[in-house]
Amino acid sequence: MAASKSNALNWFLHRITGTFLIFMLITHFWVQHYDHQVASVTHEVVTEKGQMPEYPEAAKEGVKARFGPDAEVTPYQVVMQRLADPVYAVLWKGFNILFLIVALHHGFYGLNNVMTDYIRNPMGRLVARSLSWTVALGLFIIGLYSVITAGW
Amino acid sequence: MNLNVEIKRYNPEEDEEPHWESYEVPADPLDSALSLLLHVKWHEDGTLSFRKSCAHGICGSDAMQINGENKLACSVLVQDIADGEGDTVTFAPLPSAPVIKDLVIDQSRFFEKYRDVKPWLITDGPAPEREREQSPEEHAMIEEASKCIMCGACTHACPSTWADPDYLGPAAMLKAYRYTFDTRDDGAEERLDVVDSPDGLWKCYTIFNCNEACPKDIDITRWLSALKRRAATSQASTNA
Repeated sequence: MAASKSNALNWFLHRITGTFLIFMLITHFWVQHYDHQVASVTHEVVTEKGQMPEYPEAAKEGVKARFGPDAEVTPYQVVMQRLADPVYAVLWKGFNILFLIVALHHGFYGLNNVMTDYIRNPMGRLVARSLSWTVALGLFIIGLYSVITAGW
Repeated sequence: MNLNVEIKRYNPEEDEEPHWESYEVPADPLDSALSLLLHVKWHEDGTLSFRKSCAHGICGSDAMQINGENKLACSVLVQDIADGEGDTVTFAPLPSAPVIKDLVIDQSRFFEKYRDVKPWLITDGPAPEREREQSPEEHAMIEEASKCIMCGACTHACPSTWADPDYLGPAAMLKAYRYTFDTRDDGAEERLDVVDSPDGLWKCYTIFNCNEACPKDIDITRWLSALKRRAATSQASTNA
């Protein structure tokens, strides 16, 4: 860890997490919102249930009304099955946990920069930084719990 | 042609707040913006205050906000800030600095930050008998940064400075770069101690306003990024 007065390490990580976020966000959006064919769920899991999970008709109609007749959605069950899949679950849980860490660090380092731009009192800065990283830690614990328990 | 010149005036002995005053000024497209101010001072209102010295873009005295952008008044032509007859050209002091009078700002804070980064050659050993040698390649690393005339246009164009007046700002940190990357200098660690601080390098968010404002077209953000990498590498090796 860098010396406390230096922000060199956090600045370096901000660059790294920013680069990671570009690829992770694209992957996340594609897999979570467009991969309705469940390419990332093994055949056994799908056939175990007998058929592909579906959104209720009303939800599908709503999506088609907004995005056109060819629009398709990724059902919630598909996301959950992916996280329960015997082959892919570890991959996607690992991906989501890494995504969570990267996004939280990137976002909260940025937030800290904004706060210390406007809070010039050293004690005020310390309080603001402590509070924000505490919130980040809380969100990390909630996210970690959600990802680990989902589907298992 | 005649231009409508609007100047943000402020006399602390008379005014509670700054206010705008307008003047009709005859101008040639090839006049400098500074000549508009000189016309006002010489022919309209002798109480107008602004800094100028060499009037050739060397001394850096007449940096101010012209049409909302930080520029050197002597280095901007009328044809670049006005399209034709009756156009309005505005002059205001550099933003975020305390105003002494009219377009004259208090630069003491700016130069305090400058001195903080130790902008002089620091050497360990005894002085050589002849000059301290440097290859053209070594000099090329600091040549552009050496062109800085300390006009303050960059620092006062920086949103980080607007938000936090304690922020060292691009001008001072460019000086830190210029000496830290000077191969004849041995004071890198001392300077990095200053710039690698909560009000230093890490508040540069690569907004590029400094590059836009620099009248010498110095790629300030590029050199500050090099200084950041040096500071991060230095931290990493210190903690290794």
